[in-house]
Amino acid sequence: MKISYKWLIELTGLDWNPEELGDRLTLCGTACEYIEPADQYMQSVIVGEILAINKIEGADKIRLATVNLGERQLDVVCGAPNIEVGLKVPVATLGAKLDGGIVIKKAKIRGIESEAMICSERELGLSDEHAGILVIDSSATPGQELSELLGYKDDFMLTFELTPNRPDSMSAVGIARDMAALASIKVNKPQFELTESNEKASDYIKVAIEDKTACPRYAARIIKNVTIGESPYWLKKKLILSGIRPISNVVDITNLVMLELGQPLHAFDYDRFGSKEVVVRMAKEKEHFKSLDGADHELTPEVLLITNGKDAVAAGGVMGGFDSEVESDTKNILLEAAYFNASMIRKSRRQLGFVTESSQRFEKGADPNIIEYAIDYAASLMQSLCGGEVLSGIVDCYPNIIEPLKIKFRPKRCNDIIGTELSSDKMKQIFEDLEFSVTGDSDFEVTVPTFRPDIEREIDLIEEISRIIGFENIPASNTNIGSLYTPIHYEDKFKKETRTVLTSVGFDEFISHGLADSKLANILHTERPQLNIANPISEDLNIMRNCLLQTALTVIHHNVSHRSLDLSIFEIGKTYLPPDEKDYWAEDESLVLAVTGNTQHTWREKPRPRDFYDITGAMEALAEHFGWGEFSFSPKEFSFFEKEISFEVLLQGKVCGLIGKINPKVAKKAGIKQDVFAAELNFDYLLSLSNKLIAFKELPIYPAALRDLAMIVKEDIKAGELIQQVKKSAGKIAESVEIFDLYQGKQIEKGKKSIAISISYRSKDSSLEISQVDAAQKKVVDSLVKNFNVEIRDK
Amino acid sequence: MSVLDKITQLQEEALERIGKADSLDSLNDIQIAYLGRKGLITSVLKSLKDLPNDQRKEVGASANKARAALDNLIKEKKENFSGGKKLSAFDPTLPGTQTQSGVVHIITQVIEDICNTFHGMGFEIARGPNVETDYYNFEALNFPPDHPARDMQDTMFVEHDRLLRTHTTPVQSRFLETHKPPIKIITPGICFRNEAISTRSHVAFHQVDGFVVDEGVTMADMKGAILAFCKAFFSEDVKLKFRPSFFPFTEPSAEVDISCFLCSGKGCRVCKYAGWLEILGCGMIDPNVLEKAGIDSERYTGYAFGMGVERPAMLKYKINDIRLFFNNDTRFLRQFK
Repeated sequence: MKISYKWLIELTGLDWNPEELGDRLTLCGTACEYIEPADQYMQSVIVGEILAINKIEGADKIRLATVNLGERQLDVVCGAPNIEVGLKVPVATLGAKLDGGIVIKKAKIRGIESEAMICSERELGLSDEHAGILVIDSSATPGQELSELLGYKDDFMLTFELTPNRPDSMSAVGIARDMAALASIKVNKPQFELTESNEKASDYIKVAIEDKTACPRYAARIIKNVTIGESPYWLKKKLILSGIRPISNVVDITNLVMLELGQPLHAFDYDRFGSKEVVVRMAKEKEHFKSLDGADHELTPEVLLITNGKDAVAAGGVMGGFDSEVESDTKNILLEAAYFNASMIRKSRRQLGFVTESSQRFEKGADPNIIEYAIDYAASLMQSLCGGEVLSGIVDCYPNIIEPLKIKFRPKRCNDIIGTELSSDKMKQIFEDLEFSVTGDSDFEVTVPTFRPDIEREIDLIEEISRIIGFENIPASNTNIGSLYTPIHYEDKFKKETRTVLTSVGFDEFISHGLADSKLANILHTERPQLNIANPISEDLNIMRNCLLQTALTVIHHNVSHRSLDLSIFEIGKTYLPPDEKDYWAEDESLVLAVTGNTQHTWREKPRPRDFYDITGAMEALAEHFGWGEFSFSPKEFSFFEKEISFEVLLQGKVCGLIGKINPKVAKKAGIKQDVFAAELNFDYLLSLSNKLIAFKELPIYPAALRDLAMIVKEDIKAGELIQQVKKSAGKIAESVEIFDLYQGKQIEKGKKSIAISISYRSKDSSLEISQVDAAQKKVVDSLVKNFNVEIRDK
Repeated sequence: MSVLDKITQLQEEALERIGKADSLDSLNDIQIAYLGRKGLITSVLKSLKDLPNDQRKEVGASANKARAALDNLIKEKKENFSGGKKLSAFDPTLPGTQTQSGVVHIITQVIEDICNTFHGMGFEIARGPNVETDYYNFEALNFPPDHPARDMQDTMFVEHDRLLRTHTTPVQSRFLETHKPPIKIITPGICFRNEAISTRSHVAFHQVDGFVVDEGVTMADMKGAILAFCKAFFSEDVKLKFRPSFFPFTEPSAEVDISCFLCSGKGCRVCKYAGWLEILGCGMIDPNVLEKAGIDSERYTGYAFGMGVERPAMLKYKINDIRLFFNNDTRFLRQFK
């Protein structure tokens, strides 16, 4: 909300400068976000009197005006149709910076030197009016600063960022009230005189409320014989500095009262109202309403209407109607001041699809008991500024009076919660400064005025005390509360160690938000359901991912399209599924590993493509770190993997994931044109395995005997099978079995491969005899020949 | 003449000849004469096997010593003739051999930093689901249905009447339901808002919330804890400004600004010349929240706070685009090794 600085000063009489005012209000919860000079578009703009107007040769639309600027005269090129000799006008001189980014510089227009400009209201930031120049009151003195004349000099536009719980501060008086409480003074609320005529308003209008919950109070006044015209500058200025466009005196007055007191008002053209009766009711299904802006709305019963007994004349608390709008020829005014239920207005304006100054105030909670004051204040202004005749009495329908709330307040509890030692007297003073009344000594009964609907409980009163004394005056405690021991959950430790292991083997961690594109998900786990976003921000973020593979592909795509082609990446993250029939919402954690491109090229090592074994290598590093034992792989077709390289991953006998080479067609759809290998593992399962303590094993005492074995086998025989066989045949003394060479090529028959195995034999009880080793090695060879038909190569 | 004396004699003789040598060739000759395959010192060494055992060791050592001394001297002298010291071909400037390590995502690093600091202050980590119910995300936290406060958090909904949590505070609602005070928890995690993605805002971001519930917990305790955290996380001389604010789940509520750690409050581009940076929200847990979770709000009080992760990370590392965190461009990620 925007408010003029001078207005607040006028209401409080305080001498705070704008920065001080902004800071002090911010520190009590009424956050002042910006302070802008009110005359920012009027600098170097001065009053000029038009002395002569001459034609410019060859130009129809522009003329040359000679203006008297007090100390000097200037010729100014002007295109406005409404200039006349003798008029006083605003003249922007060299250096002026006008609204819309116009800067006044020396320029030649049609060969004529011009260094000034006669301004319209729009250029001065006063309104959108720019059909003609602004004509200033004839009493103004040429050479006078415009900002001084209009009262903008030394004023500021303050922008407040208000919290939704404080409807009371949506007005000048409301903000002034906080200032007054900080300074322990009283607000100078507007004083006015109102003379009523003999005619009774109640002879002109009746009010009936059908829905008393939606509209607890509706009051009306009749003002006859007004003259519609422009508002005086002081009034316009207050509106302009609050960001409200002046329209006409009557409408401006309703806006002024709303800005000053926080009570929205509405002025109807009485003669166009259509009846002598106001009926407040909910809209009927499909009822139509044409709003002020000319738009037609089809309504639902959620919208609250002001009607003339038959047709809608306004959407209560949101916007007036087109047909009863105040026009330039309006004579008689029906002035409305009402109190509407906050959530009703919220529903109404949602239904109508717009937010107005009025709806904002009602939906946060207005004051039902300010209505008489507000409507009288507005009527008195219409009397003094529009020449209106105010009929006698307010037609006020207020069936159930809303009383101020009384709340029990314990000063000790207040100190206990905010950690202070304030006296009861100090607290009482603060309440009274906030216009709350207090009775009682040790414990208080606080009566909260109805302009503070946010205060309902003792804790709300405690907050008032804390914000008025200022949070900076609450001490910061130095002691720690809580227990001596704080556990670190195994899950956190496990994640951290997993990251450490994977980064140490060269994998970069990535993090996704989990929002994903259903189009890509559709070609991955086709059978897996997807959790749809009901209101996605874009089409490509319309589901929550159901696997991590998808986000890995997205990340690879981003990187390769930025020419980072060589990647080893991982993520630990959640996958989401729609609820199952038992309404269980699966939110499981997965670990995805993916590689693409080549290994690093150094002066020592040539790059090679990153592949399957880079992933299994990382998995082995994890298995080794956590003591899981070995992963195994069982062939299984997944549509998104290449047929040949597509496996289920098993660990400790359980399927816990999948691994393979991404099918190039799938990769291509993800925007990737290079080979990608990936694995996705069930992280929750891995976590469940990993709570093992390492037990120390005695160091070997006796030496090991190493034997190598090279053989030629059919290419479809897996190294793992051979190793298993070797271990089985060699028995307990086979300490380790490693593959140290693999060859397929020229010297080997097609369809076969050469594999070399190194076996380490060791006994923990004695030094092995050569004969023992030889015997074991023979058993190994025999079993390999028998089971796999291997051909042992000569040493 | 004993063998030992012979060695001494040979050595002296050789030394004299080396001293007089005036060319590379003559040095080569001397080298061959004494140290070559059939050289004089070499022959002594070869004849060791003919000596009695008791002399072998002593003679061998002496002959080897003489051989080494002559060899060094000849090499040294040779360098004089070949134009100064020969430079070593060994090149230490080649890049060292290292296994290329990966990097932990910067957001993980920052969350870990924050959590470690709070762990040091006695906070325990708790987590909850990302897909939440309206109850835990809003209602249990004192957001009445249809309340303007809900507009502060543009919500993304999923099918089946659930939503993506808009803050990590629902972990608090869940935790309070299932635990008894004393409670001292932090809740790191991701949250979602229905906002357009730009350099400054994102549909998803991380948050760390914390809350403490016990008998006699005051705002002063809250201020102390937040001050301690900011000192540990930002800098020892950080200053704090508590501004009253509004959150439905705390009362009183505050926003906390810290003095800009880049310019020490003097004003710079990062703090927009204000000298202050908005860093977290906090407040005393609203009695309604405690009561809803079945905790006696007369007996127990508590405080809660919440902060973004991306924002302080952006400030700390001068990152100018929030989208970089989720783009996972390795050129970005690897800057934070």
